[in-house]
This record gives sequence, C-alpha cells and structure tokens, in this order.
Amino acid sequence: MNDRLRLLRTVARWEFNRFFKLSDMIKGTVFMLAFGLLGGAAATFLGRDAITVPDIAVVETGPFQMADFASARLNFLDRRDADLDALVESLDSEDIGGILIVDSADQARLIAAGERPWRWMLEEFLQDARTTMMLDRLEIDQATYRQLTGELELATEFRNRSQASRADRIVAGVAIALVLVAVFMGFAYQFSAITAEKQQRITEQVVSAISPQTWIDGKILGITGIGLVYVVYYAALGLIGATVLTWFGAPFAAGLAVVDPLLLLLFVVFALLGILMWNAFLAGVAATIDDPNTSQKTGWMMLPAAPVGLAFFTLVNPDSALIQFLGIFPLTSYAVLPARMVMTEVAWWEIALALPLLVATIWLFRRAAGKIFAAGMMMYGKEPSLTDMWRWFWKS
Amino acid sequence: MLSFDSVTKRFSGVQAVDALSFSVDAGEIFALLGPNGAGKTTSVRMIMGLLEPDEGRIDLAPALLDGGRVDRQRLGYLPEERGLYQDAAVLDNLLYLAALRGCRAGDARPRALAWLERVDLAERARDKVSTLSKGNQQKIQFIAAVLHQPRLAILDEPFSGLDPINQERMCNWIRELSDQGMTILLSAHQLQLIEQIADRILLIHQGRRRLCGTLDEIRASTASASRLLVDYADPVSPESLGATAGIASARAVDERRIEVQVGEGAELGDILAGLARAGRLTGLTTVTPSLHEIFIRNFGESEARP
Repeated sequence: MNDRLRLLRTVARWEFNRFFKLSDMIKGTVFMLAFGLLGGAAATFLGRDAITVPDIAVVETGPFQMADFASARLNFLDRRDADLDALVESLDSEDIGGILIVDSADQARLIAAGERPWRWMLEEFLQDARTTMMLDRLEIDQATYRQLTGELELATEFRNRSQASRADRIVAGVAIALVLVAVFMGFAYQFSAITAEKQQRITEQVVSAISPQTWIDGKILGITGIGLVYVVYYAALGLIGATVLTWFGAPFAAGLAVVDPLLLLLFVVFALLGILMWNAFLAGVAATIDDPNTSQKTGWMMLPAAPVGLAFFTLVNPDSALIQFLGIFPLTSYAVLPARMVMTEVAWWEIALALPLLVATIWLFRRAAGKIFAAGMMMYGKEPSLTDMWRWFWKS
Repeated sequence: MLSFDSVTKRFSGVQAVDALSFSVDAGEIFALLGPNGAGKTTSVRMIMGLLEPDEGRIDLAPALLDGGRVDRQRLGYLPEERGLYQDAAVLDNLLYLAALRGCRAGDARPRALAWLERVDLAERARDKVSTLSKGNQQKIQFIAAVLHQPRLAILDEPFSGLDPINQERMCNWIRELSDQGMTILLSAHQLQLIEQIADRILLIHQGRRRLCGTLDEIRASTASASRLLVDYADPVSPESLGATAGIASARAVDERRIEVQVGEGAELGDILAGLARAGRLTGLTTVTPSLHEIFIRNFGESEARP
C-alpha cells in the first residue's frame, strides 16, 4: 500500500477510535429508552385521572333538559334542588369532581378544584348538545347539517413538478437534522483533535513523523467517520422506531414509503461529502486557534449551521430560484439538494453540477487546512490573521 | 549525517539562530549546549522540518533521505515539551507513534513491551499516560523517539523531569543506542551528564556558534584550561606571585596551597621559575575545568548583563 495512504489510514483510525465510544452510544440509547419508558409510565399514571369518569353536579340546565345530560365519559348528577354552598363543600371534600351551571345556550359555568383533564370532554359534550338543540329549533335534519358543514376538497395537479406531501417534508426535515447532528459533532471533536493537541504539544511530536497535510487529512476522515456512524445509527433508530410505531397504528407508513433506495443513496453521498467539507473547514479554523477560551475565531465554527438553516427553507418552497441555486452552490448543496430531491423533481444536470463542485470545494478546504496548519502549528500564544492565512494558502 | 551551513532563523525581529554552522558525524553523540534562548530548540525544530530556515541550508546524509526528500521515518524525535495523548494508554501511544514512523505493529509491540520492561513501566502499559508521573512520561516519550530504530535520534532535553538515578539510566540507554549505530543529537542542561556521554559538543549563544569539538578540544581552547594548583612546604602568600610573569592571578586555597590562573600566551618556564622563587614546591597539579565551569565562564558573564 502507498505509504501516504497507510499513514492516512493510521491517523484516521486513531482519531475515530479516540472519540468514538461504542459503549457510550449503547449507554445513551439505553438511557433514552429507559427515559421513554419512564415517561410513558408516568403519562399512563397521570392520565388515569383523565380516564376516570368524573361526577359533575348539574345545578342549572339552562335551555337543556336534565335528560340531555347523559354521557359514557362524564357522570352528571341532578343537583338542581341542592344548596350551592353544600355542593361546594362536597367539591372541597372531593365527593364530586365539579359543579356545572348552564345559564343559556351560549353561556355555562364550571366550578372545579382546579384544571381537570376531563374539562375538554365536558366542553365538547356541551357543544354537541347545543348543536343538536339548535338543529331541532331550526328544524334542520342531520343530512342537511352535514351538507352545510361539509368542506370543499381542492385536488392539486402540478404539470411540471411532483407534489411535496407532508410525509415528504417530514422525511426531508429529518434528513437535514441528521446532517446537522454530524456537522456539529465535527465541531466538538475538531476542537479536541486539533486545538487541544496543539495546546498539549502533541502536534510537534506527530508532525515530526508525518506531513501536516497527512495529519490533517487523517483527522478530517476520522472525525467524518464518527459523524457518519452517528447519522446512520440515529437514522436506523428512527426507522426502527417508526416501523414499530406503525405496527401500533401510528401514521408513519406514508413517510417510510417516501424513502426510496436511490434517494437514500444520493442522500448518503451528499451527506458524506457535506460532512467532509465542513470538517475540512473546521480543521482549518481549529488549526488557527491557540486558546478556545479567548479566541475570536470560535464564532467561525458556527458557519456550517447556516446552510442547514437554509435547507429548512426548502421545505417551504423547494422550487424557488434561490433554493435551486443553493442546491448547486457547494457550501449549501449538501443540505439543500437532498432536501429538494425528497420534495420535488431535481434535474439530472443539477446533481451532475453540484457533485463535482462539492468535491472540488472539499479538496480546496483540505488543502487550505493543511497549509494553514503547517504554517501555524508552531505558533504559540498568538493566532494568525486572515492576511497570514491567505498568504500561507498561496505559498507553495 | 547532518550539517548546518550558515543557517539563520528570525522570529518577529528576534534573531534565534544566527549564521550557525556545524556538522554531526554518523554514529556519534552530539550535544547542543547553550543558555536559555540560545537557539537550541529552534535548531532542532529546523532539523525536524517543523520550521524552515530563513537563510542557509541544512543538509542530511543520504541515509536519511528517500528519493531526495527527508524520510521522517528515519528520524526519531523527543520534543522539549511532552507530546503524548494523555487520555490514551501508554502502549497505545507508543504503537501509534511507531506506526506513524513506519514501524509495523508486529515489530513495534514486542519492542515497546521490552522497552517498558527496561524502564520499569511494564505494568503501566494499559494505564492512561495522564496517570504517570512527569519523569515516567519522559521515559515513554524517549521510547517513542527510538522505538522505530531511527538512523538519527534528536533528543531535546531528554533528562528533563528525571531523578538523578534515572538520569544515569537515561545516559546508559543513550550510550547503548549509540553503540548500536544510532546517531544521537541531544540538547540538555545537565552538563555533568553531557560530559559523560557526548562525543562532541557545540556551545551556542544567542544563536551563534561559540565552541565546538570534543570535550578535550573545548577545554584546550578555553582560557580556563590553564589553571594550576601549587603546593608549598611552608605557608605562602598569593600576593608574592602577583608580579610573576605569565601569571594572571593567584588565590590561596589554604595557607600552603595556591591556585594560579595562567595568562594568555604565557611561557611555562617563566611561570615555573616564578612559582619556585615564592617558596619550596612540594606539588603541582593542572586543573581540568569541568564542562560546567567552561559553560559558566563562557555564558555566565553575558547572562549576568542586564
């Protein structure tokens, strides 16, 4: 094997193993599941109150008949003759759940110890009772009523573009969020991998053995590898979760159907290239930072979030000229183009143009990172200026 | 093996290395000596390719080149400051650094374990580097510099953080590597240790060459080589020697022993005649200056200047 490739593999593997802890990933998942189960159990326990049928004392029925107050979910007690103060005492001692006073067809009052989960059921019940009464009064039958309240359905047919459904948007949103996770992981690890090493003087040791470019390339690859593992892991967890929830009747089937293998492949390719590109960029920035606590350059580390933010605009209008441009522009294409591909039809030439542009930008960023690192690695206590970096980049 | 030809390096107006020339022969132990800020570490970093000279050239022997370019895998380097992955295990650090220097894991592992055994750290192989003392970390860093059996090992302050016993052991390890054919270039402040192991020494000050050669050559070329201890049968006053030709100064060690500093270009006959005139001589010893004395004489004055 070529010596440089062997060294590149050695550095990439070392960086990957340094930061990727399978045990932590498993612990995180177990914690997440345990937290979910605990949350579910707590919700079930707390929700019990909602499924308990409450006793509601009816003091005034207003325009309704007492016979109208019948529901499987609410237990109405006829207390029209009872003293209100006595009923309040019963409420305080929790013998009853609430006191209902219906003043008119438009006004009713509920006295309860506090907010209760069954309140919306009561509201719904009263609304239905009112509607039924009004229909009787106006002598409108149910069929007429349905006709009156029916909605017009607008079926949309696009001549040039396919329609982005809600499921499409969810899948695109999740895909963008996953890329964001990987990019921000790179942000955290590059600090440890480059700036902290420079502070600990490891850099001098390592770069005495290999070229700065090989070292920086290895770091970019190793840390990109970690980002990808997490993307794949969380995507797989999401898919498993969605599949399991679909068995229980959750409406994820449409979302899962959107994910076709070709699209998935393209998404993975663009995600990989995008994460590589930003890791190369972050490596270059980290190489210039002497002390992360005081550096003015740490703000640059947030730059990769911008294209991801723009990608979310794709969800609003994937066919606008600006979004189409951002789908090709190398700094944004990795997030915007996959989102567009999920939501609309993307011309082949857009992909054919975006891919080489992205690859060229990665090459440019990694070369810049290598040169900046090589020139600035022995700079302690001082950070290079933009002019310095520009000069270093063009130096052969 | 290595030569500096009028090498100059400046940092923001500070002259770190100033037209420095010297050469290191294959198989020797060559020591760079000088006070703080003399330009030793800058010189070492230029050899390692971490810094580039502003002027002059550094030539490496063909044994250190591959296709006309420096083969970093044939060089070993112990940096002045500790450069180990603190959160990684001792053995992992060694195997990784060896791999970067082209040593296959199959070769590196048994060698690393053997070295760890020798430096009494075999049982700490799986411990994190951060749990080791400063001295033990220095031993690990030394192993990392020589594990891949380089042709030229550059050791910047190898004795730093070691206790006197381990300093002596480090001397033995360095001598052993040299005996096996490894060329060693080291810089250190422990002058008595350098005296023990260095074949040749370069004294630099403010980036410039002051003295270079074997210890004997350096002694011979310094004024401090001409010192005599004179013993008399009866008490003698040092003032009585003051006017003697060839004697620059004299001081009493005790009432019967005088230390005499010989003046530059003095005739030995004149000096002996003068010494004999002062009293009955019972003994005469030439004082050999230690490297420490040479160092202090060469650099002490300029260091004391504001």
